[in-house]
Amino acid sequence: MRKARLPGFALAIPAWVWLATFFIAPVAVVFYYSFGYKPGLFGTHATDRLSLDRYVEVLTPTFFETFVATMWIALAGTALCLVIGGPVAYWMAVKAPPSWRGLLLALVLVPFWTNFLVRTIGWQVILAPEGWMSQAAQAIGLPAFDILYTRTAVLLGVVYNYLPLMILPLFVAFDRVGEPLREASRDLGANRLRTFWRVTLPLAQPGIVVGMLLVYIPLMGDYITATVLGGAKGNMVGQMVAAQFQTAQNWALGSAMAVTLVIVIVLSAAVVGGLCWLGTWPLRRANRVVLDAPEEVTA
Amino acid sequence: MTRFADAAVTTDSPEVGAVALRGVTKRYAEHTAVDSLDLDIRPGEFISLLGPSGCGKTTTLRMIAGFEHPDEGDILISGRSVLGTPPYRRDVNTVFQAYALFPHMTVAENVAYGLQQKRVPKPELRERVAAALDMVRMRGFADRKPTQLSGGQQQRVALARALVNRPAVLLLDEPLGALDRQLREEMQLELKLLQSQLGITFVFVTHDQDEALSTSDRIAVMRDGRIEQLADADTIYAKPASAYVAAFVGQQNFFDGVVSPDGSGVDTERALLRPATPLAGLAAGEAARAAVRPEFIELSVDRPEGNVNVAAGDVIGVSHLGEMLQFLVQLDERTAVLSRRPAPDAPSLAVGDRVWASWRADAVQVFPAGDAAARSGYVPPPTVQP
Repeated sequence: MRKARLPGFALAIPAWVWLATFFIAPVAVVFYYSFGYKPGLFGTHATDRLSLDRYVEVLTPTFFETFVATMWIALAGTALCLVIGGPVAYWMAVKAPPSWRGLLLALVLVPFWTNFLVRTIGWQVILAPEGWMSQAAQAIGLPAFDILYTRTAVLLGVVYNYLPLMILPLFVAFDRVGEPLREASRDLGANRLRTFWRVTLPLAQPGIVVGMLLVYIPLMGDYITATVLGGAKGNMVGQMVAAQFQTAQNWALGSAMAVTLVIVIVLSAAVVGGLCWLGTWPLRRANRVVLDAPEEVTA
Repeated sequence: MTRFADAAVTTDSPEVGAVALRGVTKRYAEHTAVDSLDLDIRPGEFISLLGPSGCGKTTTLRMIAGFEHPDEGDILISGRSVLGTPPYRRDVNTVFQAYALFPHMTVAENVAYGLQQKRVPKPELRERVAAALDMVRMRGFADRKPTQLSGGQQQRVALARALVNRPAVLLLDEPLGALDRQLREEMQLELKLLQSQLGITFVFVTHDQDEALSTSDRIAVMRDGRIEQLADADTIYAKPASAYVAAFVGQQNFFDGVVSPDGSGVDTERALLRPATPLAGLAAGEAARAAVRPEFIELSVDRPEGNVNVAAGDVIGVSHLGEMLQFLVQLDERTAVLSRRPAPDAPSLAVGDRVWASWRADAVQVFPAGDAAARSGYVPPPTVQP
């Protein structure tokens, strides 16, 4: 009797089915709706007439402004997370005693034990004009600060909420470079700084890209942080999309906005990546070593 | 190759390439890895630090390289103390155990790395990288990435990457450990050849006695953070300073007993072992340990005439080692001896045969007791975890 053997991809089938049902299909539906229209006061969408009209609607100045503001927050938030999280991840992977690692990683993850919304509301309490930060500032003679419901507050919350998503991939990336390669570099005459630029950073680069995407992409669609800490001034695209679906009941326009958002995310990530690649090109060129072809060996 | 070799021998002062360790001690939380070590390495010599894992040989090497710092003592390279000098300013380069080649650079870029740090102009840099790759016969692989190379090839690149900098001292941390036996023996010869051509001091860390014996001018046998014996290969092999060295380098048959009343030999339950020279520093009745190498133990069916050291036993094992035949002879229930004879004129013996083992007096070494493993007969060298 021959034993039936499962094909190699069999174990991946549940995941594919899951993705197809709950990810690809809804995205396809949203894409389809984005060409439709809102039929009347009580309908959310209709697709009997397909057009690009909703996309034209998306590109009006009001929406455009919010897009730009969102991108500004997302880019600034990603940059801040990188600047703050990078050194922390480097320290954890390279400098901290290995026996501390488990504890340090746990500490990075501690915020995730609380709900995202609750954490953000926590910041509301801290930043409120009558909150303890403001009171403490006043107690030492500084003016009361009033940054709640501003872009600054949104940025603060964003950095707080997304920092672990930056630290973890960076930690793994720096850790994987390994002490032997850094030692080899120093043995060959490179000081710590040059070792970082020529060995640690190039090898950690994939992890840095992952960390930045991991922060940037959800940040572009985030609206909880913006709503809770930014109020009316912290308007972000995610918030607008949610409003079209929930408040305005205009699914067609909401879908067009969502699709535009996806395109903007992909394009902006590609542009930033391309700029980085171009920016480091002279450096990579300077370090390239190409030997002349070996002289012909005459027998 | 010659161009590279000529350029490398630039001895501005006779001290260049000398390494001196003065009372160097390195402690970790629980144990002392290196214990007030004194060692003078001569310029241009090939010296091996030999010992089992945990004997402090790698820590010693890492202190010379600058990756570890001694708690006490001083380290001098080319006559100058390097305490407080970071690795990147020491005139030494290292060939690492796992090679540590940069995976994101080509072979040529790996080799060029050290020269780039010294800001060597590009034309000279290319020339020196090419010469270094020629030297290890890896020129044709210049544009490959390290992951596309075999272990032996990576090893050569690591060697070129270190030697291209023309250091005063080259440190090698078990560089052949990951290679298969044939390649390892080939590389041992090549290393030795390179070293004599370049005249650079080589400090070679290994746990493999064959590697140390075949390459080194001198061998420092290490144990528990100290040097047990420092001598050339012949002396280490023929006149080990202690039972530990005798057991670690080559194979030994050990016999435990007491010094005989007349002080002429070691009395064991089985036999009296008489060395050629009188016992120095051992009083009659004192516990002692005698050692005889397997190649000095002769076997015969009839009791041999004239040999002072004889013992009868049964053959319990015969094995072929290529050019040698190896016999294991049981003298009594606790003692077996190992005998190794050249294959062409080895006695034809089989398991179960009754034989006489005999050895010349000048083959007997006597050490104070209480050293190494407390077992009689053939003692395998201390277990080594690479």
